[in-house]
Formats: sequence, C-alpha cells, structure tokens
Amino acid sequence: MSTIVYYTASLKNELIKLKRTFAFWLTIISAILFPILFFIAYIFEHKTLVPAAGVNPWGKFMVTQIENSTPFFIPMFIVLVTSLIMQIEHKSLGIKHLFALPVPKSSIYFGKLSIVILAIIVTYIYYYIAILLSGVLLGFVYPDLGFLNFQPEHFQYLKILMTSFVASLGIIGIQFWLSFRFKNFVIPLGFGMFLAIIGIIVSQAPQQSIYFPYSFSVLSVSLGDKMPLIFGISSVTIFSILCFLITSIFGYFNIKKLNIK
Amino acid sequence: MNELVVETKNLNFSYSKNKNDIQDLELKVPKGSIYGFLGPNGSGKSTSIRLILGLLKKNSGTVALFGELFNEQSRLNVLNKVGALIENPSLYEHLNAIDNLKISANYRQNISSNRIQEVLETVNLTKAKNKKIKEYSLGMKQRLGLAISLLSNPELIILDEPTNGLDPKGIIEMRTLIKDLNKKFGTTIFISSHLLSEIEKTCTHVGIIRNGKMLYQDTVASLKDSKGTNIKVEIEVDNPNEGVSVLKNLKMENISLLDDLLQIEVKNKNEITDVIDVLRTEGIHIYQVTIKNNLEELFLSLTEN
Ligand SMILES: Nc1ncnc2c1ncn2[C@@H]1O[C@H](COP(=O)(O)OP(=O)(O)O)[C@@H](O)[C@H]1O
Ligand SMILES: [Mg+2]
Repeated sequence: MSTIVYYTASLKNELIKLKRTFAFWLTIISAILFPILFFIAYIFEHKTLVPAAGVNPWGKFMVTQIENSTPFFIPMFIVLVTSLIMQIEHKSLGIKHLFALPVPKSSIYFGKLSIVILAIIVTYIYYYIAILLSGVLLGFVYPDLGFLNFQPEHFQYLKILMTSFVASLGIIGIQFWLSFRFKNFVIPLGFGMFLAIIGIIVSQAPQQSIYFPYSFSVLSVSLGDKMPLIFGISSVTIFSILCFLITSIFGYFNIKKLNIK
Repeated sequence: MNELVVETKNLNFSYSKNKNDIQDLELKVPKGSIYGFLGPNGSGKSTSIRLILGLLKKNSGTVALFGELFNEQSRLNVLNKVGALIENPSLYEHLNAIDNLKISANYRQNISSNRIQEVLETVNLTKAKNKKIKEYSLGMKQRLGLAISLLSNPELIILDEPTNGLDPKGIIEMRTLIKDLNKKFGTTIFISSHLLSEIEKTCTHVGIIRNGKMLYQDTVASLKDSKGTNIKVEIEVDNPNEGVSVLKNLKMENISLLDDLLQIEVKNKNEITDVIDVLRTEGIHIYQVTIKNNLEELFLSLTEN
C-alpha cells in the first residue's frame, strides 16, 4: 500500500480521536477569547472610539487587536494544544498499539503532526471569523462606530496572521516532538510555557532573539519594517521554517528508534 | 506442526545497564498451537512480547515471525498477520467501542464495518457498543482489546494476560473463545499468564519463564508426564482417622491427613477404585474423591529458586 493511503488513514483516525476532547474545545475558546475582550472594550469606550469622518474603522480595530494579542498568545496556545492532542494518545496507552500495527511509523508521526498544524490553522480561521463578527455586531449596536459603512481590508489583516502562523511553525516542530517523546505532559508543557515567556521577554533584544524560535511570533509583528531580510524574505520566516523542518525530521527519527516501554 | 510461527534465538534485553531483563530467550511457538507463556509477575513476559513485536530494541539475538526475520524491511508484512493485546488494552476512553474499533480498522485498511459488528458479537459487547469506554468495567475493556486484536483475522494472536480483570464467567468465555479460534481457523495463539491453571486448561504448549530466563518449554502433555508417575488423590470421609488406619493395611505409599482429608498416592487410576472398595467394605462413608493437581507444585518448584 502506498504511503499516501497510510497517511490519509492516519489523518482520518486523528480526527476521530479529537471528537469531544478538550483540545477540540480549546481551539474554539482560544479563538473567541480576544475578540470578546475587544468587543467589551469597544462597548465601554465606544464614545472615544468613533472614527473621524471618512475613516475606515476596521483597520484600527483589526490591526490593534491582532498585533496586541496574537504574537504573545499563540506560542502558549501551541504549547498547550500540542500537549493536549498528544496526551489523548498517551492517556490511552496508544503508542504501543499503534507501533505494533502494520503501519509505517512515519504515517503516525506525520499524520498526528498534520492534525496539530490543522488544529492551529483552524484556530486562526475561527479567530478571524470571530473578530469580523464582533466588528459587525459593534456596527449594529453603535452605528456611529462605522463598522457597517466600510469594508474590511481582508488582505492586509490576513497577511499579518499568515506571517504570525509561519513564525510559529518552528515551535510546533519542537513542541510536537517533546509531547510525543514524553508521556508525562508536565515536561513539554512546563518547558514550552517557560520558553514561551522567555521568548516574549528576550524579544526586547531583537538582534539576539532573532535566533530564538520562541521569540519569532512576537518578532514577526514587532519588528515591522526593521525585519532583517534573507534573499528578500523575512529572516524570522526562514528561521522558523528551517527550525520546523529540522525538528520534525529529527523528531521522527528519534521516535522511530525509541523503546516503547 | 514443525513450522514455527514465533522463534527467537539468543534474545537478550535490558532496561538498564546493570541488569539483564531477558536472557538468551529461545521461544519456539509452533504453528497452530495455543502457547502458554507462564511466569510470575515481573519475570519478563510483557518485555518478551514487546521484543517480539519490535517495540523494544533487543541487545542481541533474533526474532523470526512466520519464518521471516523481523526487521525494518519485513516489519509491515509480518505485523499484517498479527493481532496483539499488550498488557492493558490501548483504548480511547472518550470514544465508544465502535469508534475504537473503527480506528484500528482504518489503520489496517480493508476491514468492513460488518467485521466490526462481528467481533463485537464475538466478545459479547454488542449491547455496549455505543457506550463510552470511560463507562466500561475492566473486564469489558479487556474484551474490547481482544476484539481489536481479532479484527483482521490474524494468523497469530498475542495476548498478554488477557484474563486480567475478568470475572469467572468472563474467564471461561475467554477460554472457550481462544479454543474456538484455534480450532476453527487454525489461529496460533500466544498467551501469557502468571496462573498455571489458566495455561493448563487452554494450552497445547507451554514455556515457563523466570527472571528473564526460559526454564522449561514443551507440550503441556509432556509437562504433565514429567511430574512423576504417581497420582495424588484426596478423599473426604466421615471418619478420617479410621480411614487412615484402614488404608495403612494396604501396601500404598504416602498416606496422610491434611485438614481432615485423606491424602494418598496411587500408581494409576484403577487403584483409586481399590481404595474406595477398601474404605466402603469397612463401612466408611465417602463424600468426595479428587485427583490433586500437582502441576501447581511443579510450577512452584520450577519458579522458586
Ligand atoms: N518500563 C520499564 N522500565 C524499567 N524496567 C522495567 C520496565 N518494565 C518492566 N521492567 C522490568 O523488567 C522485568 C520484567 O517485567 P515484565 O516484562 O513487565 O514482567 P511480566 O510481564 O512477566 O510481569 C521486571 O524486573 C520489571 O521490573
Ligand atoms: Mg506483564
């Protein structure tokens, strides 16, 4: 049977395993958390937030919100959701069963990794929909905020989100390997949360933290035009993709040789 | 019958440097057998099973399944013909039985939803198929684990202490099921247990392991033969003391009393009738005659030092 058949079976199974789990709900909760906070802030402050005549309110609403929440929150979300998804397998003593099935270990490792990435992308999508909806709702509640009179400039906002996602790939590779490798979720969770916080702190010093994957998410937004380029591409983007490729491949070979006790 | 479905040679493994958890293990499981892998807790049964399935990296030695060396190249081909239940079953507790079976079926491919219903029926879980595993008892989980290992109609089924957590009825059902599979489909069954009675009632072959070393490996029939020729009999009578003195007149060996029950050794089953006749002639009432299982003693003597 071909690799692709094994891989699709693995994907299908990972989706079944996610049914009714906290990991599944976490994607939704995380996605609506900040839009709700911003919605409430706008409700309270709506008088000061009425835009000048002819100004599109969406730009400020979307960009402030995305830039002030996503970069800090995403690394922690990744640490948490990756641990949770892997914990479904560890809790069920699943790995010994999976690795005794006539299925390549690669399809299991990369199938699960794909689902983790998918869960993160889906969270981004929910998040974007949630912000848009909260904006429209504000438009109905306080028409003078002007949300109903202008169109959001989707391309601009989606580009920021896209950059943030790619900058997060590096830590997805690291956290996924750790969560697969260690049954005890305290290890990937504690390690990841600690580094995510360190990442936020050291991002104040971009020269150094540009090599630290846990800072990429913040740097991808905070550096703006000052982002160093490699072949015309943001260096954080390149480092993040490299980190993802190296850690996923290393992680796979490490897991493949592991004694399943 | 000479074809070996599982064969290990010089198998060695240790979890840590200073200790040898499996030593020079030479397993020989003939095709079509029900092989009982017997040993006390911590003797290395589960470790051996993990080594057979390639879950642990052996320090040295070889594992061959279906006459084919188990390695990176043969792994998928070999595992395709195996169904295994390793220690506690791997089940997703937040899902129901159907979903759990579906997951294994998807991984294995070509398994129809009919087959899922069939194995549920086999292990008697049809009524509970839509219940979440969280709500299952230990015995139900064990049975679902067994159902999962049956899904692909494997040529070899490996069961690690499958009667753990089963009630007496469940144990008998499991025993019948194992024998049926073996008889109907010629499935080779490798089953580990720390209970001799379990193995004795079900298995054709036995391997006894202690501290990671194989102590004895043969058919169950030869194990029974090897324990000496005398049959130990226990008799319950109304007057044990009189019974002893009556029997002492016969030229029989090793007559004694244990908890008011007569203990006697006879050379063959015909002598049991003789003993009964003698006791009855003296007017002694007999309530019960039992042949004692001295395999138990043999097992203990094999596994103690
Ligand atoms: N995960 C593990 N790490 C270290 N030692 C282990 C592990 N699992 C089992 N052992 C040791 O290996 C030996 C054999 O254990 P095991 O194979 O589980 O025995 P059994 O299945 O016969 O009860 C024991 O001494 C046990 O302590
Ligand atoms: Mg065991």
